[in-house]
Amino acid sequence: MSPLTLGALYGVVTLIVMFSGMPIAFALGVVATGFMYFFMPASSLDTVTQNVYEEMASITLLSIPLFILKGAAIGKSPAGKDLYSAIHTWLHKVPGGLGIANVFACALFAAMAGSSPATCSAIGSAGIPEMRKRGYSPGFAAGIIAAGGTLGILLPPSITMILYAVAAEQSLGRLFLAGIGPGLLLVGLFASYAVYRARKEYALAKAIYEGGGVKSAYLDNEHYTLRQKVEMLPRVLPFVILLIGVMVALYGGYATPSETAGLGALLAMVLIAIVYQVWRPRDLAPILTSTIKESTMLLLIIGMSLFYSYVMSYLHISQSAAQWVVDMHLSRWLLLAVILLMVIVFGFFLPPVSIILMTAPIILPPLKAAGFDLIWFGIVMTVVMEMGLIHPPVGLNIFVIKNIAPDIPLKDVIWGVMPFVGLMFVAVILLCLFPQIATSLPNVLMGAK
Amino acid sequence: MSHGFEVAPAKGPAIPDQPALAGFSRLLDGFNTLLLRLSMAALVLTALILTYSVVVRYFFKTPTDWQDEASVFMLVGATFFCTAYVQSYRGHIGIEALSSLLPARVNAVRLFFVDLISCLFCAFFSWKSWALWHEAWVDGMTTSSTFAPPLWIPYAMMAFGMSVLTLQILVQVLTHLTNKRISKDQMKTHPERSLP
Repeated sequence: MSPLTLGALYGVVTLIVMFSGMPIAFALGVVATGFMYFFMPASSLDTVTQNVYEEMASITLLSIPLFILKGAAIGKSPAGKDLYSAIHTWLHKVPGGLGIANVFACALFAAMAGSSPATCSAIGSAGIPEMRKRGYSPGFAAGIIAAGGTLGILLPPSITMILYAVAAEQSLGRLFLAGIGPGLLLVGLFASYAVYRARKEYALAKAIYEGGGVKSAYLDNEHYTLRQKVEMLPRVLPFVILLIGVMVALYGGYATPSETAGLGALLAMVLIAIVYQVWRPRDLAPILTSTIKESTMLLLIIGMSLFYSYVMSYLHISQSAAQWVVDMHLSRWLLLAVILLMVIVFGFFLPPVSIILMTAPIILPPLKAAGFDLIWFGIVMTVVMEMGLIHPPVGLNIFVIKNIAPDIPLKDVIWGVMPFVGLMFVAVILLCLFPQIATSLPNVLMGAK
Repeated sequence: MSHGFEVAPAKGPAIPDQPALAGFSRLLDGFNTLLLRLSMAALVLTALILTYSVVVRYFFKTPTDWQDEASVFMLVGATFFCTAYVQSYRGHIGIEALSSLLPARVNAVRLFFVDLISCLFCAFFSWKSWALWHEAWVDGMTTSSTFAPPLWIPYAMMAFGMSVLTLQILVQVLTHLTNKRISKDQMKTHPERSLP
């Protein structure tokens, strides 16, 4: 059997086993072990466990539980609500300021917690009711939070990027830096849209009121004294200092990414102990339990995905598939479009972890051959996967919004996120036209590659 | 990826009807909780170790060479020790698209086979892990670093964790076979699955 035929069989069997509903980690292990049994020397079955262990025993990968711990510690404290309230008091005079405050709060929280759903939940539980109270339409309010939450996988320390760095053998520090420019671009696009939409809704509310209709909360004036504004700062500053401290530790050469993860997790726990008195074992248990549940599930998928890729490589499936793609002589941009489309389709069914680890051996060599910078591609791929977090049918963040604001109809949430999916698409186009948005910051700070 | 965030609170493990199986299931739950506590301690200890290595390197100019491997061992241990706990809550995510399309009884059969094959795979993995542990123990295998800790330690944790996982899935397979009353909800999807 030729490697390509074998590859097609490998793909079909994987789809069947995964769609049977078997947990992704076991499904990948079952398929890889099955193909080992039928197509590789009998002795290779003795190496299954060693392979999985060696793939998992990477200090970079094992920084993931610590980054999750940092996110869970901040996510389960009232830090998100305080952050949101502080930004809101400072920005309420800006037109559409409430929407901007939510976008900024999402971005800052995402950078501290590194998690999309946790960001949605933490900022959304305070932000959505406040926006609705102020007259924002429910779908718009939900859209801002769902989209803002996706910044968690783009801004450092993104777990998705840790996996990409491992799979693509790229510098994690460089990737983290490359995510900052596009992250700010998305923040800018989301905030601009929030202003545009808020002004439109404000104008509509004003027209209705002037026509003798009901007065919307949009038209109410809000005022905060300077004292109120300043009083909000002490609860927020420690977390902003944590964010900056972690970045300085990483990029100042004081700590490796895994040490930064350990340091960040410990500092986050110390901060919630000091600021919110969350230090008793019964307070910490839910944080540690959710961290363990999440990281165990993820690391098992990661270990099995890497083992799955190893079998694919041993059987020359990945090499042949990559060569097949190269031999199609697609133009550079068509190749990129096809690959990104594939990532979108996979995003309907699979979490970003599996998409990256399973597809990297096939898609990265043709992209490299076509002259694409793999750091840049990692960022583009991440933005595309961010879309997957808010578009149907899976859209994890949509479920989170439904959980924190169950009275907003699903239809409204979906229509509310659609403009943001469009904005992310615009960001992908801008990244293609101006790759410097991603590459200039790492090049300036770490030197050109 | 949800990263330390659960969309809906996890429900407890399914309780088997059969008394002996229910007793064993409770025992396993207790043991899983113990392993969870150990793993929590390992996680915090790892954060402390990595912070300690940064502090002593920069403030006392004393670089350490053991922190990475100690961290890897502890986090690999925590992962495998808790995999059965996560399975007891059906926390290992899968694609459940078929559950809403298939008739309830066909779905129940599908779920049984999914658990059965998962159990067989984990049993195979446990067997091979113990074989690897034995080889590392007998040959005195170590990592290739200067610190060179023995490899039987992480292999033993992997083998132990996967064995507990196998038992956990076995209980779930036997629960499928012995539970008489299966609600329609249970036929649609795994009753305890907490993530969408």
